Amino acid sequence: MSFSEKGKLSGDDIHLTPLINDLDTGIWKYNFNTREVKWSTGFYTVLGYQFNEIECSVNTFFEHLLYHGDKPAFTNAINNRITDDTPPLQLRFLTKKNGYQWFETTIRKQDDENGSIVYGSLININRYKHNDLLSAHNQATHDDAFKTARLGIWEIDTQNINTIVLSKQVYELFDLQNHLNLSVEEFISFFEPPYRPVLQNAINNTINHSRPFDIDLLLRSAKNNMLWLKVKAVPVINHFGKCTAIKGIVQDIDNEKRKLLKLEQSINLLTDQNRRLQNFAYIVSHNLRSHTGNLQFMVNLFEQADAREEREEIFSHIKAISESLDGTIEHINEIVKIQTEITKERKVVELEPMFRTICSALKNNIEAINARVEWDFSQCREISYIPAYMESILQNLLTNSLKYSSPERQPIIKCYTLAEGNHIYLIFEDNGLGIDLERYGDKLFGMYKTFHNNSDAKGIGLFITRNQVEALGGNIKVDSTVNVGTKFTIRLV
Amino acid sequence: MIEERNPTNTWIVDDDSIYVYGLKKLISIKGINTNLSHFINGQEGINALKKANENQQLPDIILLDINMPVMDGWEFMNEFAKLKPQLGKNITVYIVTPSLDLNDIHRAKSIPEVADYIFKPVKISQLTEIFSQTQYQANERIRQYGT
Repeated sequence: MSFSEKGKLSGDDIHLTPLINDLDTGIWKYNFNTREVKWSTGFYTVLGYQFNEIECSVNTFFEHLLYHGDKPAFTNAINNRITDDTPPLQLRFLTKKNGYQWFETTIRKQDDENGSIVYGSLININRYKHNDLLSAHNQATHDDAFKTARLGIWEIDTQNINTIVLSKQVYELFDLQNHLNLSVEEFISFFEPPYRPVLQNAINNTINHSRPFDIDLLLRSAKNNMLWLKVKAVPVINHFGKCTAIKGIVQDIDNEKRKLLKLEQSINLLTDQNRRLQNFAYIVSHNLRSHTGNLQFMVNLFEQADAREEREEIFSHIKAISESLDGTIEHINEIVKIQTEITKERKVVELEPMFRTICSALKNNIEAINARVEWDFSQCREISYIPAYMESILQNLLTNSLKYSSPERQPIIKCYTLAEGNHIYLIFEDNGLGIDLERYGDKLFGMYKTFHNNSDAKGIGLFITRNQVEALGGNIKVDSTVNVGTKFTIRLV
Repeated sequence: MIEERNPTNTWIVDDDSIYVYGLKKLISIKGINTNLSHFINGQEGINALKKANENQQLPDIILLDINMPVMDGWEFMNEFAKLKPQLGKNITVYIVTPSLDLNDIHRAKSIPEVADYIFKPVKISQLTEIFSQTQYQANERIRQYGT
């Protein structure tokens, strides 16, 4: 059966019949009243059959050709109201050689004197449908992969510089339920304050200089989760080399980053400990050896000396060496103490009572040079610190100021605290001899470095102080002018 | 003997008073023919060198310590290298220190003006060798140039 035989095309339209039969498209027609079915030659062809190879009937259509699963969709479609806007149906039909394939058919309805007629055109869409399904599958695979990798994609168009397009994974990382459109500024504001300018500058640099970036930033998500993200981007450039868009990713690297930071911390700790060990070796190499060398020297001389006075003289030196040896071992002990006490718990230290105690312990030294010691701990009265460290720091700095006071004026020593931002500072100021920082600056806190011809200078106090301060994560700085005074600024926390 | 008529000049630049005392004692016990001068740090040593250069009183030997207050041995060597072209005498500098630190030893060896690195405590044999060598050089000079 073909349209040419039983078709209702008539009059001027009759010449269209061969054209219809030439098409790679099947035309079908069904009359509800007569249950009559008509198929064009193309209908057989698209299904892989020769013309009239199969019987053109309702039965063939429903029982042999149309996939049973798609029957409800088809019957629903033809029985419902059909308009020009009714979308085509995608259905599976059994082809002669290739099994079930996807087809698309339009559906039209017409009521006239011959009854209610429904008709449509059928095309094979198997390849497109497969691609469609494949790409849907790929999309799902990608989505899973991105989800597993905790990886999101973002893009900024330089034409529309204030908005940023985010993939759904980004919203997930940011804990944003509804996928609101964010401005670049809002996007940046999800990162912790210190990282915002870093990201803004990186983005600006990419826009202005087509520079790619790769930075690790700390995010505070909408649910207040702190998360380390890697933010990476490359520019898209036009033929003139100008950046037209930025394509970037964000990835959750929280685990790795935190491990890395921990590792860095351990390395710093190890470096500190290693430095202390080196200092240890240094004391042994320089100081202990210097004393033992002298001791050997004096003992030898003692044996060679005959005169009584000579021997007494040499013996007095031996006594002095024994005292120095004791002092050096005391220094070693202090360095070991830095190591052992760092594991002790911090306690709240009240600064004023502690400083008063130290002052009274050094009363004789203070009075001997008629020094005036002033203090003001009103900005920070107490601090969580290792008490032994704090005591040692205060004592060392006070001793230092007393030792290097200027004989030309009344020594005035000031000790006070400052609270600035998140930090607490301890300041120690004097009007003493001062020190030429340009010459000695880097050595001031070194071990056994002395700068004045002062017989009781040991070069150990400031070394210990620096180590204690740094062991608790602070730092110490010095300002000084020769013959004007010295100011130590210690950032405690 | 020539040696007795021409004692060498030895400068000790060292802040370790016990060592200096011992060295003086040892030199007198061994009867080494040298005039000893002592400076307690590098700065004093350099000042004295400048002055001695004018007065023709330059030393033959300098026994230099490394760790000293005010100006240490390294800084002294820097200053010494600057002064050297103006000095009217060939001065032999020995670094004498208790330091076994390899960094110190390498650093000392890298300074061309340093003749040798001697560990404290100084052995008597080392001391006599240093002085006899210098004495020999001084005598040679006198024999050749008559000064």
